[in-house]
Amino acid sequence: MAGKEPVIEVKNLYKIYKVGQNKVRALNGVDMTIYRGEFCSIVGTSGSGKSTMLNMLAGLEKPTKGTIKVAGQHIEKLSENQLVKFRREKVGFIFQSFNLLGTMNAVENVALPLSFRGVPKKVRLKKASEMLDLVGLKTQKKHRPNQMSGGQQQRVGVARALVVNPEIIFADEPTGNLDSHTSAEVMELMRKVVTEQNKTLVMVTHDNHLATFADRIFHIIDGKIVKVEERDHSRDMKISEAATVEELLQKSAMEDIIEPDASETEEAKKPEEALETLRQKEIQQVEQP
Amino acid sequence: MRFSDLIRMSAGNLWRRKLRTILTVLGVVIGTASIIVMVSIGIGQNRSLMMAIEESGSLTSVQVYNWGRGSGEDQLLLNDSMLEDFLAIEHVESVSPRLNFNVVMKQGAYICEWLQLIGVDRATLEKIPLGEGRLPDKDAESLEFVVGNTVITNFYNEKTQEYYWETQKIPEVDFMNQPLFTIFDRDSYYQSQSGQGESPKKYLLQASGMVEGDINTWNQYSYGVYCDIDALKATLKKIFRNKVIPGQPTQKNGKPYSEFCYEEVFVNVDKMDHVQDVLSAIQEIGFEAYSDAEYVESMQQQSRTTQLVLGGIGAVSLFVAAIGIANTMMMSIYERTKEIGVLKVLGCAMGNIRTLFLMEAAFIGFIGGLVGIILSYAVSFLINKVAGNAMGNYYYYGSSVEASISYIPPWLALAALGFAVLIGIISGFLPALRAMKLSPLAAIRNE
Ligand SMILES: Nc1ncnc2c1ncn2[C@@H]1O[C@H](COP(=O)(O)OP(=O)(O)OP(=O)(O)O)[C@@H](O)[C@H]1O
Ligand SMILES: [Mg+2]
Repeated sequence: MAGKEPVIEVKNLYKIYKVGQNKVRALNGVDMTIYRGEFCSIVGTSGSGKSTMLNMLAGLEKPTKGTIKVAGQHIEKLSENQLVKFRREKVGFIFQSFNLLGTMNAVENVALPLSFRGVPKKVRLKKASEMLDLVGLKTQKKHRPNQMSGGQQQRVGVARALVVNPEIIFADEPTGNLDSHTSAEVMELMRKVVTEQNKTLVMVTHDNHLATFADRIFHIIDGKIVKVEERDHSRDMKISEAATVEELLQKSAMEDIIEPDASETEEAKKPEEALETLRQKEIQQVEQP
Repeated sequence: MRFSDLIRMSAGNLWRRKLRTILTVLGVVIGTASIIVMVSIGIGQNRSLMMAIEESGSLTSVQVYNWGRGSGEDQLLLNDSMLEDFLAIEHVESVSPRLNFNVVMKQGAYICEWLQLIGVDRATLEKIPLGEGRLPDKDAESLEFVVGNTVITNFYNEKTQEYYWETQKIPEVDFMNQPLFTIFDRDSYYQSQSGQGESPKKYLLQASGMVEGDINTWNQYSYGVYCDIDALKATLKKIFRNKVIPGQPTQKNGKPYSEFCYEEVFVNVDKMDHVQDVLSAIQEIGFEAYSDAEYVESMQQQSRTTQLVLGGIGAVSLFVAAIGIANTMMMSIYERTKEIGVLKVLGCAMGNIRTLFLMEAAFIGFIGGLVGIILSYAVSFLINKVAGNAMGNYYYYGSSVEASISYIPPWLALAALGFAVLIGIISGFLPALRAMKLSPLAAIRNE
């Protein structure tokens, strides 16, 4: 990555929960730097402190010790009011359980964070509509969350995180409630967004495979970063001569719009599978010392 | 967030839980309506009182009495020269004396042995509500008068000795079409009744009008027989030429005064605020004087107390409604913990979240208040219709006034609406603070 500019700098971060007499060290001295335009994933087993880490970065929780500098701001010093403002202006958030408002349809849900910024209704609905086009939900704009599949709902979630044009997007297990195929689609979508719009994305997952969609992978065990893995995705583009990742993405987005006939689906899947097997190999290579 | 967005969102949340919203609003409706109706009864009472008094004009008048008409030791005479003195008092606009004179009247077999002719000035005569006929003519050849609507019951049958209060039979006296034999010299009349001296002269007098109403209705003119004071003076002077007019005081040497003395005089003051000054000025001269202003003040005090008590009863029900609002808001916050968390993660300002919930509570108060106003106008209408009818024509303080038991002035409706909104906001305050302080982590936790 040329001209690396850090957007997140974490130094000596501790988070200690007191449960009765016991102290739980959810984060135990974390140092990490994330650069602009990077897609990072934080991966680890359950209870390793991934969510705690992410919540701390997004200013949802206060650290016990240490400093967090996000987009030039030391957020550990901010008041709750300032944190809300910080999130409103700098951060997009993608939830595991989508967390769309049940009373609003897709466009309204996407437009919601814009209303917090005082954007007039017309403008924000137009913008939201464009975002839904981008994530491939052209026909479900008027659907309520309970009228959409999980994958579609998470696309709305991605659009909602993107609509405010945030500097950093956080995602905690964004595909945790989706099946593996849909998960892959959403991951590709997020990748595409990050590369196209040069966004910084920090994603938490316990799934080693999903983590490989990222440029860098932080492995966390018992509140400590034990390993940072770099991956070069520029080669991914060359995997299939027939279709670039972007084209693949567009295809998968189209599936929601036009019911594809079986042969097309088959074809579309082939390069994807190829991509997948290659990735599996790569992981094995990296993990071999 | 824009104000329009805040309104849309909070209204949307209420709409989402229609039934619960309606039930909560219902509490406010009942609370507001009971406050309005209760207070309106107090106001209606006060208003009837004020209207009655304004109608009789007695709020700005001082009544001066001189029961002995100067026959007492002090020889204080309430005559025309004294009235001049009254007029000289600051703020006095006019004086209106009353000259009372007792006569005997007869028609056919019926007689009334104690009938008071009341001579009043033109202005007072013109206030009398006439049922038929016209006001007495000042310059008529013989004295004319207006008869009170219950006066007829004072006549009795001379031959059968039947009284109205025994038989409930209305005496056959026709004031309007037949003349009445009138005896002014009652002393001679009684003497002749017991066989001494000759019977006094009878005069044929004709009524010119009747006071409005039948014998079962009553107003302040019902009992009297009214005539023009100047005409009465002229008649009395003619009848008792050079003699002492019965009831009038005499000088020490037994001779009559040249001027008439009155028992009762109304002194009209320009403003209610000045009544007290005029009252004390007249009392200083040495007369017994009295004003309704004092009475009205105590009545107003009493009606204020009534209003407070009635309003308090209403306030209790609104208080219960306030608890209902707080409860509903609390419930909805527990339900929406996750949603509020999402809003906070997405960057909704804390103040906006508080405003959202305050607005919801205020909406409940506003809608409840609005419907409550409509309901209370309906209830007020019903009360006036049903209770008003039951009470028949309702007379208050000597004057007839449209029966209005409950009266809702616009300011009361508006104040109640404002109060309902305020109650909503107050009861929504704690829940709103709670919502504001909820942790954004609630959004992330998966239950
Ligand atoms: N509010 C809390 N109070 C006490 N302990 C907590 C709290 N939140 C988290 N922990 C503890 O901190 C540790 C890290 O929790 P965290 O939620 O970050 O794990 P995670 O890596 O996200 O796991 P998972 O993959 O299951 O979501 C755990 O041991 C957990 O029990
Ligand atoms: Mg977690």
